[in-house]
Amino acid sequence: MDFGLSETQELIRSTARDFFATSAGAEIVRNVADGDEDAAKKLWDEAVALGWSGFTVPEVFGGTGFSFEDLIVLVEEAGAALTPIPIVESSITSSVLDKYADEEIKSELLPQIAIGEVLITPAVVEKDASWDLSTPLVAGTSTGSDVVLTGEKRFVNFANLATHALVSATIDDELAVILVPIWNNEGVSKTALKSTAGISISNLTFNEVAVASSNVVATGKSAKSAMSDLVSLGAVARSAQLAGLGRKVVEVTTEYAQSREQFGKPIGTFQAIQHYLAEMATTVKQVNHLVYAAASSSSQDSYSAEYVSRAKIAASEKIPEVCWKAHQSHGAIGFTWEHDLHLYTRRAIAWKTDYGDSTFHKHNLSRLLGL
Amino acid sequence: MRFEYSAEESEFHSNLSRFLDENLPADWHGPPDESRDDHWQIYQDIRRGLADNRWLVMSWPSEFGGSDASPLMNTIFAEEMAYRRAPGHDRFGTRMIGPTLMRFGNDEQKAKYLPAIANGEFQWCQGYSEPNSGSDLASLQTRAVSDGDTFIVNGTKVWTTLAHRADMMFMLVRTDPEAAPHKGISLILADMHAPGVQVNPIINMAGGHSFNQVVFDNVKVPKENLVGELNDGWRVGMTVLNFERSGIDYVGWARRALNEIIEWLSNDDCPIDFSGQYSEVRSRIAELDTEVQSARFMCYDVAWRQGRGDIPIAEASMSKLSATEAYVAVLNYGLELLGMYGSLEPGSEDSELQGRFLKMRLFYTSGPILAGTTEIQKNIIAQRGLALPRK
Repeated sequence: MDFGLSETQELIRSTARDFFATSAGAEIVRNVADGDEDAAKKLWDEAVALGWSGFTVPEVFGGTGFSFEDLIVLVEEAGAALTPIPIVESSITSSVLDKYADEEIKSELLPQIAIGEVLITPAVVEKDASWDLSTPLVAGTSTGSDVVLTGEKRFVNFANLATHALVSATIDDELAVILVPIWNNEGVSKTALKSTAGISISNLTFNEVAVASSNVVATGKSAKSAMSDLVSLGAVARSAQLAGLGRKVVEVTTEYAQSREQFGKPIGTFQAIQHYLAEMATTVKQVNHLVYAAASSSSQDSYSAEYVSRAKIAASEKIPEVCWKAHQSHGAIGFTWEHDLHLYTRRAIAWKTDYGDSTFHKHNLSRLLGL
Repeated sequence: MRFEYSAEESEFHSNLSRFLDENLPADWHGPPDESRDDHWQIYQDIRRGLADNRWLVMSWPSEFGGSDASPLMNTIFAEEMAYRRAPGHDRFGTRMIGPTLMRFGNDEQKAKYLPAIANGEFQWCQGYSEPNSGSDLASLQTRAVSDGDTFIVNGTKVWTTLAHRADMMFMLVRTDPEAAPHKGISLILADMHAPGVQVNPIINMAGGHSFNQVVFDNVKVPKENLVGELNDGWRVGMTVLNFERSGIDYVGWARRALNEIIEWLSNDDCPIDFSGQYSEVRSRIAELDTEVQSARFMCYDVAWRQGRGDIPIAEASMSKLSATEAYVAVLNYGLELLGMYGSLEPGSEDSELQGRFLKMRLFYTSGPILAGTTEIQKNIIAQRGLALPRK
């Protein structure tokens, strides 16, 4: 076993920390949460300039070709900073394309993803809010050169910035994955949701929208496998973001406990507070280990489904708990709108269900354990 | 980053596993009860076999009979021993006083004691806690008074695991009652067979005899048995606690118990019908598995850091905290699933899983208490790990 980061990963981490500290502070996070689309766009442009849109896109397609494990190091920092940019969305959809799409799609889109001209976001969840993606209600009918799509996808992240959605659909009675252009597409309507996450989340409605048949990425067994990969990669990436978020909450709460005085001494001298923080710090470390275990089990072709689910179970259950303990430790100040703590808590609430909540992943894991 | 065993680590793991297959009784379920003579015999045989394979002290430097194995290899060893509930892992000698002697002992002490530990010939016990000194260890009162070439020791040690099987005790004694509590303590090595040493069994809440009260009544301990400097025992003795504070045993036990639950649930002979609540059962098992696996990596991370030369104090406390919590949670849920059968003692007619879960749950009440309670671990994490002020 080896728990160390590679030199490259250390560099990724420090670059990310610098960027998030200087370019993506709490004020920007708040502005984006308040609906400042220009701020969101500018932040993503800066991230694209750092090569982060094509972070895992292979070098032959113009990306930086980093591994999924490397991506996890990056998105952990993005999570810690609450940065409202679609690194996870862009990376996992490009990974799915790289593995499942034909050469034509890959050679056309992957280079554009790398330079930020194309951003693909997953649109796979529907009205039942389930991450079991086997039988989508969004339906398509082939008409020769086109597929005509009808139906609704919910909880789509960053549809405001995305040029395409990677959509799961039942096409001609078979599960399929299809790339749908959503930018300035009359057949696709976007409804922004008022999400507590502080990032753009929308529903997408497809009104008999015609999509070129060549945009079908996978069908049948291959589509099932592509969706399974998407959920797994997304679950680990969200867990990494939650782990980063939790780490930051522990740091913020520790600093507060060191400086806030009551009864003539810092509240951090009291065992009640010390024990909360000890539990919080331990929890974050536990989640981190499971995230890295899942990430390091992943390669181009496979991943450990056990570790994927363990990571998301732990992150979904424990990081929100860390946030609630942080509020308790902060007392009244942590209950205010002005204090940043609730930004973390809100994001954690949104992320705990994204890419499968703990119930979903417990079901998966227990099956893998032979139950 | 690699969360799997390397080839070398895998090979060692399977060699050890094969040794245990061949040397544990065929129907061995554990946990061992060292007060039983047959179990004590198995303990000694396994200990000797481990020594013959050079595994017993494999993390020690080769000059002292070890194989310079990394802390990680040692963690693999401890986890497998715990998973098999195998006796014979002399923690007091191999993990605690041995490494302490290497660091603080003089040449005579090293020559006298280290080979005996390495060869599996010798049993140690640890004399730290006293009736009035538990978490507040520095308040200990057992006195050692200088008398020519010897110390005369008077006092009482308590919760002394394996004192009834031990040849020697490493103990903290007060050698300067005038000094501040931490400054007047020394670490000495006492012969458990010496006149004036009386071992009184304490029966634990599981009904077993694992620990003892040890009364010292004018016991003579030669001054050559002082380890480190006089009155420097707090520093010397705390080194022991840092070696002691790992959660990996609990992880091994927890993995084993969880697998037994899964097997029991899946068995056609299972007397309870879980079909009506199966999804809840599955969900809880998955949750516990997640707890145990995260605790496991916490422990391996500590070993990995130690292997790099770090002294991961807060991380070690986190590993003990995580592992004891996970194990207790597994045992609690096992008992819950066993339902009415959970309350049947070992040996009872109709008991399921030989009443082991009840016995283990009762026994491992000690897990979050010994080697620094859960609360003390949290203090350490907060103060040493997060730099929260002590006062």
